[in-house]
Amino acid sequence: MDFLSEFLTLFLSKLQSPTLGFLIGGMVIAALNSRLTIPDSIYKFIVFMLLIKVGLSGGIAIREANLAEMLLPALFAVIIGISVVFIARYTLAQLPGVKTLDAIATGGLFGAVSGSTLAAGITLLEGQGIEYEAWSAALYPFMDIPALVTAIVLASVYAGKQKREKYRKNAEAISKGEFSGMQPAAAGGYASEAAVPSGGYPTSDQRSAEGSFSGGTGGGAGAAGMPEDERVKIWPIIKDSLQGSALSALLLGLALGIFTKPDSVYESFFNPGFRGLLSILMLVMGMEAWARLGELRKVGQWYALYAVIAPLLHGCIGFGLGYIAHIVTGFSPGGVVLLSVIAASSSDISGPPTLRAGIPKANPSAYIGSSTAVGTPIALAVCIPFFIGLAQATMGGG
Amino acid sequence: MSKPAKKLVIITEKVLLKKVAKVIEAEGATGYTVLETGGKGSRNVRSSGQPSVSDTQSNIKFEILTDTRDMALKISDTVSSKYFEDYSGIAYICDAEVLYAHQFCGPDGC
Repeated sequence: MDFLSEFLTLFLSKLQSPTLGFLIGGMVIAALNSRLTIPDSIYKFIVFMLLIKVGLSGGIAIREANLAEMLLPALFAVIIGISVVFIARYTLAQLPGVKTLDAIATGGLFGAVSGSTLAAGITLLEGQGIEYEAWSAALYPFMDIPALVTAIVLASVYAGKQKREKYRKNAEAISKGEFSGMQPAAAGGYASEAAVPSGGYPTSDQRSAEGSFSGGTGGGAGAAGMPEDERVKIWPIIKDSLQGSALSALLLGLALGIFTKPDSVYESFFNPGFRGLLSILMLVMGMEAWARLGELRKVGQWYALYAVIAPLLHGCIGFGLGYIAHIVTGFSPGGVVLLSVIAASSSDISGPPTLRAGIPKANPSAYIGSSTAVGTPIALAVCIPFFIGLAQATMGGG
Repeated sequence: MSKPAKKLVIITEKVLLKKVAKVIEAEGATGYTVLETGGKGSRNVRSSGQPSVSDTQSNIKFEILTDTRDMALKISDTVSSKYFEDYSGIAYICDAEVLYAHQFCGPDGC
């Protein structure tokens, strides 16, 4: 009972932090239809500032750290990233009315990591005076990239299977003379919503018919709507996520922290502004979350349910694995919290474009809606305080 | 003297920017103009509104001047058959009269 009451007190006190206040404030003013806007460029600049600060402090820490300590948490981060996608594939995708590709993309986004959630977690830890390994921030890519790669590979394996099925059926239909009823309807099932059906163009009619049906012999390669090669190349996905704005900034910060001596600029510029910038970022996230709620309503309640449960579940997996690392290698309680926080977070800046390009048939309203509208606020408002409280209650950190 | 030309307009998602640009160049157009844009269509309102968390939600508009209708059609066909099944997009052609363009105008026009 003691454990529970102590935990609840901690949890409630975390809810009063400015970070969460700004997040809720953003949601409130968006709900009131305020015309307040924060320019896109400022939002991007803030994210850059936060991640480069996180990277710098990580890099400075790595210089003095024993890198062998990082191996186990990094391995755990990879495992979490991959398993999150599989969890979505075998839970969310099985629910009624949920399209498998949408579910895989949602899993990919929830497996990927949010830089702003990581920054918020770090701020709260520092506010509580809890020690953490500064290199924990460097775990980011170890979870982010495997999750995105797994999602895209899994999706294309699934789409390929669907397509072969479709061609088999088409071939049967052609042989039976039912050709006209089987116009290309796209494996993903979104063709009906397409703004411009490819058949609507004067000359592309012929092309799409040719593409769809001549492909029957070649195992479906080069069909209409998916002319790119059938096999997924992993390197371009990795490259794409590394080139994304969030990871670029973080890795740049890490590299600068390791190879240069940025301590003066870090102390005078990046560190002092961190909290203020983060609060503005939270305001934007709150507004964005509210704006995306409408979209989520269109895709259905299963996504909302998944988006509420997933951050907590993933965070608990992160906490469990982190706890193992705590026992085995002495990974600090703060580090365990950060691992849980990045597990709980879902990508909001660089993840969506990567998935949109990698799984074009998935409905972005589904995965971006559930991540931005529900997943991120839950991760920020519930998971961070929850895991800090849990760490203090179980490991007594700070 | 003005030169008659076709203006092909393609409005689509920003994530396709590089891919569409590649198609345009591959078909041999001398250039294009890209604008950030927003509006309402059959996939509902796709605003360029703020704040947007990622470029996934924003839209762009390509304007391509071509000598011949054929080239414009070829570009539009390739883009629409490759991408418009999965991404939102619309393409249309207008008649245009080019008054001045250093690269575009040949010996007999502008």
